[in-house]
Amino acid sequence: MDRQSLFRKAALGGAGIASAFNTGPRDVHAYRADVGEVVIERDQPGKPHRGKVLLAVHAHLDDIPYYSAGTCAKLINEGYTGYLLRTSNDEKCGGGSDSENIKSNETENLKMAKVLGFSDVFDFYYRNHRMNNISSQEFRARVVFLIRALKVDTVVSFNPWGHGEENPDHWMTGRVVEEACWMSGMPNDYPEHLEAGVKPHPVRERYYFVGRRGQPFNRVVDIGSYIEQKIQSIAECKSQGGGNTGSLLRARLAKQGKKLEILGNDDATADREYVRHFLVDEYRELGKQYSLEWAEQFYYIDQRRQGKSRVDEYIEQHAVNK
Amino acid sequence: MERRRFIGGSLAGGALIGGTLGMTGAPPAYAKQSNHIWFDDDPLIERDQPGRPYEGKVFAAIQPHADDIPIFAGGLAAKLIKEGYKGYLINVTNDDHAGPGTVGDTVVANEIDWYAVQKELGLEKMICLGYRNHRMEDIDIIELKARLIFLFRAWKVDTVIGYDPWGHYEENPDHYITAQAVEAACWMAGGGKDYPELSAAGIKPHGVREKYYHARGTQYINCIVDISNHIDAHIRSNMANIAQGPAGNHGARLRERLAKEGKKLPILGNNDETANYHYIKQFLMEDEKALGRKFGMEYAQAFHYIGPKKTDSYTPSMQDYIDKNTVSL
Repeated sequence: MDRQSLFRKAALGGAGIASAFNTGPRDVHAYRADVGEVVIERDQPGKPHRGKVLLAVHAHLDDIPYYSAGTCAKLINEGYTGYLLRTSNDEKCGGGSDSENIKSNETENLKMAKVLGFSDVFDFYYRNHRMNNISSQEFRARVVFLIRALKVDTVVSFNPWGHGEENPDHWMTGRVVEEACWMSGMPNDYPEHLEAGVKPHPVRERYYFVGRRGQPFNRVVDIGSYIEQKIQSIAECKSQGGGNTGSLLRARLAKQGKKLEILGNDDATADREYVRHFLVDEYRELGKQYSLEWAEQFYYIDQRRQGKSRVDEYIEQHAVNK
Repeated sequence: MERRRFIGGSLAGGALIGGTLGMTGAPPAYAKQSNHIWFDDDPLIERDQPGRPYEGKVFAAIQPHADDIPIFAGGLAAKLIKEGYKGYLINVTNDDHAGPGTVGDTVVANEIDWYAVQKELGLEKMICLGYRNHRMEDIDIIELKARLIFLFRAWKVDTVIGYDPWGHYEENPDHYITAQAVEAACWMAGGGKDYPELSAAGIKPHGVREKYYHARGTQYINCIVDISNHIDAHIRSNMANIAQGPAGNHGARLRERLAKEGKKLPILGNNDETANYHYIKQFLMEDEKALGRKFGMEYAQAFHYIGPKKTDSYTPSMQDYIDKNTVSL
């Protein structure tokens, strides 16, 4: 993944465009939160999300670690059962042959998932950097199946409408995930799933990454309690994402007869501390803007039914006996 | 749906012709390119089997259109079910281009017929995949393949009945696209690395081991199935295709037309059901009768069979070598 700094001023978040779907605070569906209002999501005590299922979908090994590791760890700690889906095979990233890269990224994806507390990992292995050439129908069908089989309530993934996204794997993944989120609730789409007892099941909440500078966000998540997991998840990304830069630096310095105290005395410490000191600054800077120690940002969509509909309320107030 | 005629398509003894198309000795009227058939020199002959030897086995009959399986394999399907198979029907298109009235009328009419065919053949269930009729060369075949793999695994399909992907001169894209997807899905359904996420619903890899392929044009035939005792089910499955196809209620319509002319055909009887049944038996079973005559049966259907009952595998010779040459340690 090519990373760009995610640092942006809060004013950008406040200059949002009122959503055409937001019909006011009493709208029970709240389809699209007004992008101009940023909500801070803080730690919640206990396990308020027990029984709910989270699906985090990324194209490459290091996407979830950078964009949303803290939030994923937080949601899982607060009760979600979490699943990770990687859509590409990462063959182009790792420094080895394509085959070696496929293997190393596959292994590190599993390790990274374990650090964040995911219960299981799914891999689709579409060819890296070529996902704008695949069948979106087939890709979407697979995501619909997973959403239904796992009964996913909440998805974390790319914003399919995020401007400036140069990596086709990202926007293809985001687009297909978005389509699958609502389609998985439609009984006439892939009705054959019932043959395996897999029933329609819509996704109600979405956290879309801010993948590139200028993409919208309306939710800032306090990840202060989960920064160690985020750091460690990035450190597991050795084929790509800088996870082994610390140990490589320690070795290079050693050859020069030097050392950096922060890199410690072993590779694992070097990798982790390098990440802490050099690769997560923007999450600290984002946090500062909202009086948090560390934060991640998302464009959040809530499609849960909130209380009674207007029709139901009207019926309650006006229906009379025949 | 145009049916293929077998009348001109055989040689005495059914000799396989090397690389040459055409059947020597066939009447010129039938020596059309699209009617050429290669008969294997030793075709598999499938007659009725006593009891229920296939108990526990599953077949999927896959048709792009409502009348494909009834026309080409209704008798086979009925035979396999009687012999113990559990059968499923997959209708791949929505049949929106073949039937009465508007497109909406047509899809509703064909949907009724899908379920009627399912019932007449004693099939367990019918699933429609809904692709638009006559436009299947525009779909993502990989998605169709994925859906078929799901069903083959979920149902644990052992045997498939459908179009031959290598049947030449097939003019309907729905047929050859469906056939290609089926062929690929059959073996890939057994692959553990293909769609491993299906395990999230407890669905495990399960390869299809046998295929009965039918075709409309030039085709290699190596399996002759005796459907004499299943002709009734075969005819009734064809009667179920009212929206489209050569069968359906054509008998009743002929009886009605003749009545308006002050005439009748005794074989059409005195009611619509009798008319439809005997219309099909009299006029649409010529291929089945002709093929049956060649192999000493009353009625037969022909297929390109791929599976363990007919294989040229070299494995037996490997086993033979092992048996002859193994020594003690």
